[in-house]
Amino acid sequence: MDRQDIIDHLLDHYETPRYHGTLAGADVVMPGGHPDCGDVVTIYLKVDTTGQFIEGLAFEGEGCSVSQAAASILAEMLQGAPLTRVDELEFTEMIDTLGRDVVKSRQRCATLALGTLKAAVAHYRKAQQREQALTDG
Amino acid sequence: MAEYANPGVLVDTAWVADHLNDSNVRLVESNEDILLYDTGHIPGAIKIDWVADLNDPVTRDYLDRERFEQLLAVKGISNDTTVVFYGDKNNWWATYAFWVFKLFGHKDARILNGGRAKWIAEGRELTKTVPNYPVATYRAPERDDRRIRAFRDQVMEHLKQANPTLVDVRSPQEFSGEKLHMPEYPQEGTLRGGHIPGAQNIPWAQAANADGTFKSRAELEELYQGKGITPDKDVIAYCRIGERSSHTWFVLTYLLGYPQVRNYDGSWTEWGNMVGVPIEKTYQG
Repeated sequence: MDRQDIIDHLLDHYETPRYHGTLAGADVVMPGGHPDCGDVVTIYLKVDTTGQFIEGLAFEGEGCSVSQAAASILAEMLQGAPLTRVDELEFTEMIDTLGRDVVKSRQRCATLALGTLKAAVAHYRKAQQREQALTDG
Repeated sequence: MAEYANPGVLVDTAWVADHLNDSNVRLVESNEDILLYDTGHIPGAIKIDWVADLNDPVTRDYLDRERFEQLLAVKGISNDTTVVFYGDKNNWWATYAFWVFKLFGHKDARILNGGRAKWIAEGRELTKTVPNYPVATYRAPERDDRRIRAFRDQVMEHLKQANPTLVDVRSPQEFSGEKLHMPEYPQEGTLRGGHIPGAQNIPWAQAANADGTFKSRAELEELYQGKGITPDKDVIAYCRIGERSSHTWFVLTYLLGYPQVRNYDGSWTEWGNMVGVPIEKTYQG
């Protein structure tokens, strides 16, 4: 994509966000950004019964166009993906996916949703481990 | 606006609407949100981004003379062009771009009073069409950092005065040392919280009305002179990286007519990280 295509893609997601809103039955609801931050994203994550794949991923948020478009693109990209894909997805890849040429000066905004999703996955795994320990105990 | 010391430096939305097709006027939008321009802008306006266009890509500094000339040439701006800046957040970034243009001595630079928000609030036209102007010729002098820009060594010299006049335009929480960045932003970038000794805290946005326009001259005089920031002083304004303080620099220099005001763009991200420099911290948490 050329620069204008990248901008159009980001604005399309900003103005018409995908998977925007709450997610019924979410296993994890993870807020991201500073508690009173201008760029805020809350990730809703639901994992399938195997505990290995994303069954549902949605977000709510407020803030600049890059932070909100990135959350929408991320949510669209990872529906049904294995949780290990979240582990593998690095901030640099996210920036490249969004369009480095356009978002490089706003990298914190570009990676807010991914960082929040990584925290959500970590939270889910800890909860599963605790549950497993209780079961085993 | 006639009340201000330099009333010609401000234009209102009606003036801009009347000059949309004036080939000698170039509208320049500068925002914090990098894609805001692309969601819709004043017809004919071009975009200048403080990071991509005005900063040196490697050194913490601004673009040099050659790159400034190239930037303005491709934006269709010549030495005689009237450049009108506007943007989001009370023209915070617009005044920053204005300040950088003044480092190169651009003669006719102005600010749209009320910025982007007022234009939109009045229901005026926006477009997504990006204009393409013929390449212009621009000849700039070497950047002059002496008159309106302060460096850390100059701030240290400034502190040796009996009553140094510094304006810290950050939030009270940043000034006290409670926070390292604005309350609604990530707390990152400096190792120490507080302020430069002797500074007065006058948050930049206190100079703006709710609609983004500048407060009246009388209100501004009361705001600054009430804290000892008077026109007879050698004033240095600072914030975190020099963008918010460019707004205060603009107010003091152009709206109140102070003759000696410099913007310390190293600001708290430099001062708050330097080894061994004095700071004051009033937050006791």
